[in-house]
Amino acid sequence: MSDVERPQGLVLEGLQRRVGNTLVLDHLSLRVAPGECLALLGPSGCGKTTTLRLIAGLDQPSAGHIRLDGDDITRQPPSRREVGMVFQSYALYPHLTVERNLSLGMELRGLPRERIAAQISSVLELLQLEPQRRRRPAELSGGQRQRVALARALVRQPRLFLLDEPMSNLDAQLREDLRAELRLLLCGGPQPVVYVTHDQQEAMGLADRIAVLHQGRLQQIGSPRELYDQPANLFVAGFIGRPRINVLPAEAGCIRAVRPEHLEPLAEGGLPARVLLREWQGASQLLQLETPHGRWRMVCDGRVELAESFGLGWPPARELRFEAGSGRRLL
Amino acid sequence: MTLLLTLPALLLLALVFAVPLLRYGWLSFHADSVITGLQPLPNGGANWLRLIEDERFWQDTVQTLRFAGLSVALELLLGLALALLLHQSWRGRTALRTITLLPWALPTAVMALGWRWIFNDPYGPINGLLQVLGQPALPFLSSPASTWLVVVLADVWKTTPFVALLLLAGLQSIPTDLYEAFALEGGTPAQALRRITLPLLLPYAFLAVLFRLAQALGVFDLVQILTGGGPAGSTETLALYSYLSAMRFLDFGYSATVMLGMFVLLLGLTAVLLLGRRLLAGGRA
Repeated sequence: MSDVERPQGLVLEGLQRRVGNTLVLDHLSLRVAPGECLALLGPSGCGKTTTLRLIAGLDQPSAGHIRLDGDDITRQPPSRREVGMVFQSYALYPHLTVERNLSLGMELRGLPRERIAAQISSVLELLQLEPQRRRRPAELSGGQRQRVALARALVRQPRLFLLDEPMSNLDAQLREDLRAELRLLLCGGPQPVVYVTHDQQEAMGLADRIAVLHQGRLQQIGSPRELYDQPANLFVAGFIGRPRINVLPAEAGCIRAVRPEHLEPLAEGGLPARVLLREWQGASQLLQLETPHGRWRMVCDGRVELAESFGLGWPPARELRFEAGSGRRLL
Repeated sequence: MTLLLTLPALLLLALVFAVPLLRYGWLSFHADSVITGLQPLPNGGANWLRLIEDERFWQDTVQTLRFAGLSVALELLLGLALALLLHQSWRGRTALRTITLLPWALPTAVMALGWRWIFNDPYGPINGLLQVLGQPALPFLSSPASTWLVVVLADVWKTTPFVALLLLAGLQSIPTDLYEAFALEGGTPAQALRRITLPLLLPYAFLAVLFRLAQALGVFDLVQILTGGGPAGSTETLALYSYLSAMRFLDFGYSATVMLGMFVLLLGLTAVLLLGRRLLAGGRA
């Protein structure tokens, strides 16, 4: 068979999950190439964790197919899918030491003892967990636990990596450090990586492409840059980008929106604005403005001195336009 | 300040435990029976020497250990099976959870009378069933070989729910994602039971065994009502012997000695159990 018929990587086709009368996931189709890192991004309840559980086989889809390197794995039990998953809670075995946490899966599959030991040692070294190898999870810090969970997914050399908000229990500094490390460890390898998060910074920093989900529906899939510059609809425009995009009231069936960093003070005229709050962040400053259209956010150079009130303007080319009813972006 | 705040609890403990214990200790070195006109007279260590040579005491010790060992072992096994069953989600689970607890809620005296009637020869329902099937009635409660097993059965029936409840709490404390992670690594449900459930349940099982052993080794009401220690003393336990010494033979000094002898045995057994657990925990590290 040719490569067109047997696409490598992970393919979801019309994946659907219904719980009772609720459609938790509605016809999700996407593809993750080998070595690609895809982030599933969305607010809580959008179906991102559901998608991950379906791929892992922990839940069954109501309709649709999951293919891994051309094989249909939709009905395969989780044990045969060869996925490495990192749980939000880490799911480490509390009664086992770090090294036994890593070896258990390989023992179950009856790998030779020497090979298990060699594989564990190399992964522990890679994640700098060697000094902790005989500790139990309760004796580890949050960051160390997270690395053990990662190590457990890595050590079995899976065909696919799944990560469910792996950093949501860590503090901000640790998260930033681990983000780079994670990218080096996982992405760029031969396996596809699916990464679930509700943190857009994490998604933009880690992923090659981001799939934005909302209410069980795929809103848009693309590179971080595409999502930011050409959001498919008003939801994506509002969800991607911090501080949030400013939205004008609908006019003749069209909603216009402007990103905070594209606003500029005008010498005269423009949208009247009064400064409510100023957050000085060094290189930049964030202003909360009162305008006739409600509270707006503006970001500008940290050294600019602004009056208490001024007129707001923006280059028309920077403006995003959306259809009032559907929220779709107008070109 | 610390002492002042713990004083009420300490006082209560002193009144409930220390005072009777000291009183028994004192009494075990006295003759206090009908012969002495129920007046305590010091008799040196005569009570303790008698205890060491008392065949009835040692026979009751063996019978008590036999009863407690078998019933606690059965309760642990059945309780585990029941807890695993009640932990699965299926229709009717809530109803079964309620029904399961009923035997435990029943007063021991009531259920002991019930079992005595069930095994009555020849009018009990079990013998009735045997006769319907054309079999001869069996003297369940008048042969030493079967009577102690009936006592075990009644105890298992009543307290398995207690063990199941403790183990169910343990099962519910195990996060489900551990099982999911295990399944993703290729583990079967049977392997999960051995590698995850049982090790994580161990502290709960230990607690259940400790509670149950303490109760079973001191069993009194069940035996008193179901068999009265008979036939021929074959189901008599240490607690019953101590009771009979005081209440039937009116020998309060010796009764206290029997009770203390049992107390020493219990302490020894608990120490062995605790040591065993420490060794087990050490072996896993």
